Amino acid sequence: MSVTAAEDVDDGLWSAIGDPTRRRMLDLLLIEGDGTATSLAQRLPVTRQAVAKHLGVLDRAGLVRGTPAGREKRYRVDDAQLARAVAQLSSVGAAWDARLRRIKRIAEAIQRTQQD
Amino acid sequence: MEFGTIEREIYIEASPEIVFEVVSSPGHLKEWWPDDARYEPAPGAAGDIVFGDPDAGGAVVSFTVVDVRPPRTFSFRWTHPAGEVAAEGNSLLVTFDLTPSGAGTLLKMTESGFREMGWEAAVLEQQYREHATGWDFYLPRLAPYVATLRVRP
Repeated sequence: MSVTAAEDVDDGLWSAIGDPTRRRMLDLLLIEGDGTATSLAQRLPVTRQAVAKHLGVLDRAGLVRGTPAGREKRYRVDDAQLARAVAQLSSVGAAWDARLRRIKRIAEAIQRTQQD
Repeated sequence: MEFGTIEREIYIEASPEIVFEVVSSPGHLKEWWPDDARYEPAPGAAGDIVFGDPDAGGAVVSFTVVDVRPPRTFSFRWTHPAGEVAAEGNSLLVTFDLTPSGAGTLLKMTESGFREMGWEAAVLEQQYREHATGWDFYLPRLAPYVATLRVRP
């Protein structure tokens, strides 16, 4: 039996949320409802350009969604995708339990074959 | 340095030699984990593991062998960005330690690197935040996972 990609760790999602500045940005967006690169940069010790780059990473991971607002984009957290990231995190331990049970089954089957 | 680690142990009624083969060879790996595994089981060898069909939304994940000492230890790093050298901070480290026990083998698995990758820090940090935020909605779901993490001095 194999594990599908959906059950396993989504690399893009992990690295997107793995950065402290991006987590702080998600936090601000959750508190304030929405924000732009400019509004977020006013709350963070990084430049607007850096914030825009981080928003791009979060956007590609599906964690935020942007809608045009004048010269900028206004971003909101995608609740479903954030919930999915959290669910993946909590499933890591359970996933290893399942893998180890499969390892046990395979190794014991080989052992029995060799004894026969 | 602190880091979060997942630890699991399982007793297997098979010799350490057999268990080592099952946890380390690409052919066996894909029987218990990915759909495909492409690497040489040699220290430092870089490859990847594949989930699903890469041409249809599947995932190709970097996989680098760290240590190969049959029949006692096999370790690898995974999830580092493609093209990057696997190292602390950009990947998760999985170590299998095998100990003979009776007629079988005690297999211990540890997976570490969560703190370096920011995940556990994120969880701990958010738990202690005083103000109510959207995280409160998600945190209860994290508790079962946090309980499996051991923080070491």
